[in-house]
Amino acid sequence: MADLKPGGRLPLLFFGMLSLLGGVMAGLGRLGWDVPAPAMQAAGVHGPLMIAAFFGTVISLERAVAAGRNWSYLAPLAAGASGISLLAGAPLLLGQILGSLGALGLIAASAVALRRQVAVFTIVLTLAAGCWLVGNLLWLATGNVGAAVAWWLLFLVLTIAGERLELTRFLPTPRLAQKLFIGIVGVLMLGAVGGLDRIFSGGLIALAIWLLRYDIARRNIATEGLTRFIAACLLSGYAWLLAAGLLGLAGAFVPGHAWRDAALHAIGLGFVFAMVFGHAPIIFPAVTRIKIPYHPALYLPLTLLHLTLALRVFGSLDGNFALRQQAALLNGLVLVVFIATLVTLIRRNAQRGAR
Amino acid sequence: MTAALDTEQIRAALRKVVDPEVGANIVDLGLIYRIEFDGPAKLLIEMTMTSPACPMGEMIVDDAYAELDRVLPTDCQPEIRLVWEPPWAPAMMSEKCRLSLGWNEADNT
Repeated sequence: MADLKPGGRLPLLFFGMLSLLGGVMAGLGRLGWDVPAPAMQAAGVHGPLMIAAFFGTVISLERAVAAGRNWSYLAPLAAGASGISLLAGAPLLLGQILGSLGALGLIAASAVALRRQVAVFTIVLTLAAGCWLVGNLLWLATGNVGAAVAWWLLFLVLTIAGERLELTRFLPTPRLAQKLFIGIVGVLMLGAVGGLDRIFSGGLIALAIWLLRYDIARRNIATEGLTRFIAACLLSGYAWLLAAGLLGLAGAFVPGHAWRDAALHAIGLGFVFAMVFGHAPIIFPAVTRIKIPYHPALYLPLTLLHLTLALRVFGSLDGNFALRQQAALLNGLVLVVFIATLVTLIRRNAQRGAR
Repeated sequence: MTAALDTEQIRAALRKVVDPEVGANIVDLGLIYRIEFDGPAKLLIEMTMTSPACPMGEMIVDDAYAELDRVLPTDCQPEIRLVWEPPWAPAMMSEKCRLSLGWNEADNT
């Protein structure tokens, strides 16, 4: 079966980036910043835009490239369209249905990988795609974004954890570690199914410790170049995952809790975006065939991400709304700095190639 | 081109293709399953990826083609096939690679 050419994938990625842009603006609008009307009316769907629309597009795009089947690109197309629909103020149902179709597509593409190799990591990746769908369906059924949050977090957390588990196979990882991993996934699922925030938080803490202990990043931090940069992104992200779990144990995941913003963004920005920063230099070229040569300047957006997120979390814990609001704007600007860094590296490389 | 390239030279070329996530090359990682010359103008390579869910496969194959292009005579056509059988296992890594990743000689899983 034919695969979509890299030139056809780039528009899908840009499609997803619109959800990112709209999602960040919607989040800022929610915190009282003056943002354009499409983002302001979408303030209530910041979470769906960021997780289901943006990450849904990006993750299903990269899985589609791995699956190498034409039909698998319908998943990022549907997820991206769900984001546009939410930003355009179309009936909510349309965005919810498009997002659910995207999730079904990701499940199907993950099943291609699962059929190639039945292993714990391919099962976990498929399970993660299923969590995206469950979250979307709960949102559709209840009309309440909050009902979907734990499932959408699991979509991201299990996708990353599954890929990291795969990479531990390069190391002499004890068999017990794999059993522990399966147990932790079970605890997280139990927490989501039962709506048990503390169990869920305990699972996040256990997963963070597992990753800090067994991930190949711990070895790679002593290497150099891009390999070391990726490791730095991951290890710093695991610290935020741990922080989110601790906040959750203190009750932060309860809707309306003063620390909820801190806990959700410790995962969404600290854990997930740190991973994105580390992998964009290899995944973007894999998807588009546009090379991004490594440069130490990549440490700048990573450092800024952690500093501005720390400000935000401190603002949240301290009950200082003004600080949280300012820091959230800085969080958004860090994403701009990151994208600008990538574009600069791509352009420099293209100019060098042209000479 | 007088002497045909041997498989060792092909291996040496493919060693330049590195998986940045692990910081090791595709030959030492054990991803190359088969290198076979079919006459002087045809080279068949079978390789795998450690994960069927990772999007980097296609790019690594392209990088491998680029490295082969540097060493192969222009009339020799390489073909790289991505295969999933048998699935990659840690025992396929080279001894040197395994030791550098912390495996002992006794470990074989």
